[in-house]
Amino acid sequence: MIAPRRLLTALIAWTVVSPAAGAAAQASTATISANVATLAKLTLSRSTAAFPDADPDTMPQVAATGGAITISVKARARPATVVLLTVQASGDLRSGLSVIPATNITWTATGTGFVAGTVSAVSPVTLASWTGSGLRSGTQSLFFRNLWTHPTGTFTVSLVYTLTSP
Amino acid sequence: MTKAVWSGVITAAAVLLCSTQAMAQQTDTKTVTITATVNAKAKLTVGPAAVSFADADPDVTPVLPASAAVTVDVKSRTTTNGAVTLTVQSGGNLVSGSDSIAIANLTWTAAGTGFAAGTMATTAVSLGGWTGGGTQSGTQSYLLANSWDYKTGTYTATITYTLTAP
Repeated sequence: MIAPRRLLTALIAWTVVSPAAGAAAQASTATISANVATLAKLTLSRSTAAFPDADPDTMPQVAATGGAITISVKARARPATVVLLTVQASGDLRSGLSVIPATNITWTATGTGFVAGTVSAVSPVTLASWTGSGLRSGTQSLFFRNLWTHPTGTFTVSLVYTLTSP
Repeated sequence: MTKAVWSGVITAAAVLLCSTQAMAQQTDTKTVTITATVNAKAKLTVGPAAVSFADADPDVTPVLPASAAVTVDVKSRTTTNGAVTLTVQSGGNLVSGSDSIAIANLTWTAAGTGFAAGTMATTAVSLGGWTGGGTQSGTQSYLLANSWDYKTGTYTATITYTLTAP
């Protein structure tokens, strides 16, 4: 024997959850949008590199101490566009009034998309390029062209790495 | 109806805004500071290590030429506009037992940029001079004044070459 009150409650609940016979159907849409913007993130394993003094005859190319710089690139780009990593010197190597052209710094590179090159103080030089989004990594080994004609001193310059994701 | 229009306008604006952000080119930059140490260096190569003068009639050959010209190779690294000097100095007169010939009888001619002729002495005499570092090469041809006054014997002297790069 079901109590009348419980029977009424069950009836109301069934009425609510079951589609009413003969009721009009209503379609509704929800528009989902996800904003995927272009991004560029560049990570270098070191922020300094030093070339020690050496005899130009025995070491015409001086490698930077500490080994290669590991470069990690994260880029989100439009389809079929080129993600570009460039290097440019802030100027020539300077020690007081003495100057050594930045072109005396060269590099070799490993990793997909990375290429060897010569530093320029005039314009950016391509270190790596890829098509489209992705995570990439490689290494860059810096070298200093060691010449007898270089003036003596402790020379410094900054290398600016720029990652562009179009 | 009006509500639907405004809703569409807002949606379009939102989509436009999102796509503008997505289309914007993104860049990331990092800097590596380079230091290069370039110290002063001087490297001198002289050859052959010994030259000789053959005996001759002073009337026929008043000046004796050495058996070979001395080739002098200079490599130096110095400050900008630093004065690189090359000097020669005899350890004493030409000596044969207790006999001697004054070292001033030994002279030389020279060929090569920055090299100069001179007369040997027991003090340093300039053989070459240059401004700034680099590599230089020249020859030094020794001459010995031949005299009836010389006592017979085999005379020797040691010449010291000194290259200085400040």
